[in-house]
Amino acid sequence: MNLFKIVSELEKVDPEIMGRLSHRRSALTALGDISKKMALAAAPIAIGSAFNKAMGQNTLTAVNDVLNYALLLERLEYSYYDQALSAATLTATLTGADRMAIETIRTHELAHVNLLTTALGTAAAPAPAKFDFGSAFATYASFLATAQALEDTGVRAYKGQAGNIPRTLNPTVGGNVVNLLTVALQIHSVEARHAAHVRYMRRGATAGGQTAIFPWVINAEPNGVPALVYGAGNPVATFPAESNLSQAGLTLTSIGGNTYTAEEVSAAFDEALDNTTVTTIAKATATF
Amino acid sequence: MSNNLKQGGDEADFTKPLHVPIKRRSFFMYAGATAGATALLLSGCDDDDDVMTPGTVSLGSGDVGVLNYAYALEQLEAAFYAQVIATPYANISTDERAALTAIAKHEAIHRDFFKAAITAAAPTQIIPGLTPDFSKVNFTDRTSVLTTAKTFEDLGVGAYNGAGLLIQNPTYLLLAGKIVSVEARHAAYIRDLLTPGSFSGSDVVNAAGLDLALPVATVLAAAQTYIKERINGDNVGK
Repeated sequence: MNLFKIVSELEKVDPEIMGRLSHRRSALTALGDISKKMALAAAPIAIGSAFNKAMGQNTLTAVNDVLNYALLLERLEYSYYDQALSAATLTATLTGADRMAIETIRTHELAHVNLLTTALGTAAAPAPAKFDFGSAFATYASFLATAQALEDTGVRAYKGQAGNIPRTLNPTVGGNVVNLLTVALQIHSVEARHAAHVRYMRRGATAGGQTAIFPWVINAEPNGVPALVYGAGNPVATFPAESNLSQAGLTLTSIGGNTYTAEEVSAAFDEALDNTTVTTIAKATATF
Repeated sequence: MSNNLKQGGDEADFTKPLHVPIKRRSFFMYAGATAGATALLLSGCDDDDDVMTPGTVSLGSGDVGVLNYAYALEQLEAAFYAQVIATPYANISTDERAALTAIAKHEAIHRDFFKAAITAAAPTQIIPGLTPDFSKVNFTDRTSVLTTAKTFEDLGVGAYNGAGLLIQNPTYLLLAGKIVSVEARHAAYIRDLLTPGSFSGSDVVNAAGLDLALPVATVLAAAQTYIKERINGDNVGK
């Protein structure tokens, strides 16, 4: 059974298929497992369902569910930076202005955790005992790569929930009346600032001098992080990959008498992601 | 008068450099050409005889008002960066030129997108092409250019964040979300160029970890400095 051929055939039917998997190896592993258990004739159907499992969807509707989902992501991010700042493997490389930047980001993530916890009150989900990020802190480059994955995913995650937060909700949080949708948007753009800075840090010499990485997301270029982070969600019409070139039915490579490249158009709009796909990414990043 | 900047005769020319000095007579030809279809009102010249007051542009109400609001800000940003790229500041690095060129394209795409989207949704309510006024910007000076860029990007982030709750159509809300995070990425980059590590400084992100969210009036008061027409946003989102 030629696994590479099957993946290639699947890509012909569904060009987004690889984008939904963290990398080619995991696709092949999934196919390998199936092939052991299934008769060859049944394999195509089984493969189809395996790939469907990799696709997510938005399952959140109640506002508290949305907030607890955001809280989990913020706890994950806070823990990531907190562990990084005390990781012995990073003491020689995460220094000076770079260390200060990560401290700033950690401070913001903690503030988000506290804000969401306060907003949820007794409805706040308990924090996981521990987030285990595996070998993410092994090198400065791997630390920043995962940081980019977390921040860019965070931006997509908040964007994916904007429509699930009624614009009329004005709870009192910590003594202040706040508009919940506005708060979510205010966190969302902070995550985008973080993402931009982490991407900027990856251009530096210590991080491998990756000057092809810009503060914005070009096409669905993974930059060494799992491709799922920039791939399509489910449904694809609502949650296209970051390489998406059309908005509101308008193809933006040619608009208003001007032409733009795919690189420019894809970077001009960040795309949203459904919570199931985001959770899959989170679980691929950390054990919790 | 010579430092007044004018865009091309129509917003279709918006990507072109905006360094053509405008003569009083040609200005009125331009204003007259666009006045018909819009709420553009010529209210005469003010006391400073070298500065025109071309008129007032109303952004309108409801969701269309919000879209026009975004379109106005994107026009401003696109015009600014087009000028930055046309006349780069002294000793601009290859890296900065590449990034600023990319930002210029992103903003031009946002502008062209809003123009097309509003034209499709509400063809009689779209605002005209605005006339930018960058006379306070020294385009040869890196600090002047980047400080202005920072103002525009942070203002854009605050504007979109503040407008979210004004938007009724969830499709438009999602579109605003897709754009605002790109503006935030721009803002972070520009801020880091000016002051390394200031990507989310305490002047824009508060102690609760929240970014700017600005009322329409606050945004327009700041943007007005750079736009010749008087912008009225009193009914945006209402």
